[in-house]
Amino acid sequence: MQILVIEAVLLLFLIATTIAIIMCRDLLATIVMFSVFSFCAVLAYLMMGAPDVAFTEAVISTISTIFMVAALRKISRWCKK
Amino acid sequence: MGKPFGGVVLNSAFRVIVPFTIVYGVYVLTHGEFSPGGGFQAGALLAIGIVLARLVQGQDAKFNVKGKHAVMLAGIGAFIYAATGFLPLFFGGNFLEYSCLPVHMHEAAEVHALGILMIEIGVTLTVMMTIIDIMDALIRESDSDE
Repeated sequence: MQILVIEAVLLLFLIATTIAIIMCRDLLATIVMFSVFSFCAVLAYLMMGAPDVAFTEAVISTISTIFMVAALRKISRWCKK
Repeated sequence: MGKPFGGVVLNSAFRVIVPFTIVYGVYVLTHGEFSPGGGFQAGALLAIGIVLARLVQGQDAKFNVKGKHAVMLAGIGAFIYAATGFLPLFFGGNFLEYSCLPVHMHEAAEVHALGILMIEIGVTLTVMMTIIDIMDALIRESDSDE
């Protein structure tokens, strides 16, 4: 029962983070929210019993955050309306 | 290390995180059969170490791999994978059939583990150098535009 509650909370976090990513106008904040989303996904994978996938997701989310910040230097930080 | 890192926080974080990341990457590579992990994760961890060094110290960091060398080492990693795969073909086996590798061990399982370790080393080298190469391309392009 407790496992089910934790999984439901994690999935709610995933949905809330996704809505925040879509709504946000600041691209740097979007990248940070994306790494939050990846962390919630890591926890969800761990809960579902796939530590290998969780490990890959953790490492790749770190790398992709660095990549997206490096790519953000080329474009402007605020997206247009 | 004659060059300062740019601040107390960066200095301490660099000296703590980067060696730990490198050692953990090697552990994940060599212990990947018994625990979660493997070639891809180990390569990404080792690449994180070098990318962090480049982020903190700039392009002319001491602990660094330049762009040309990164491409060359990625090719060498793919070559290690292909060589381990094609070697049993010359000793009467199929592609990637580890039990036909020309090494003599006590048990067949040890030869199997050795073959898997060679494959993982090739994957690790390729993934690590490809990530460093992508980072290099992103930074170089944004520098030339400004």
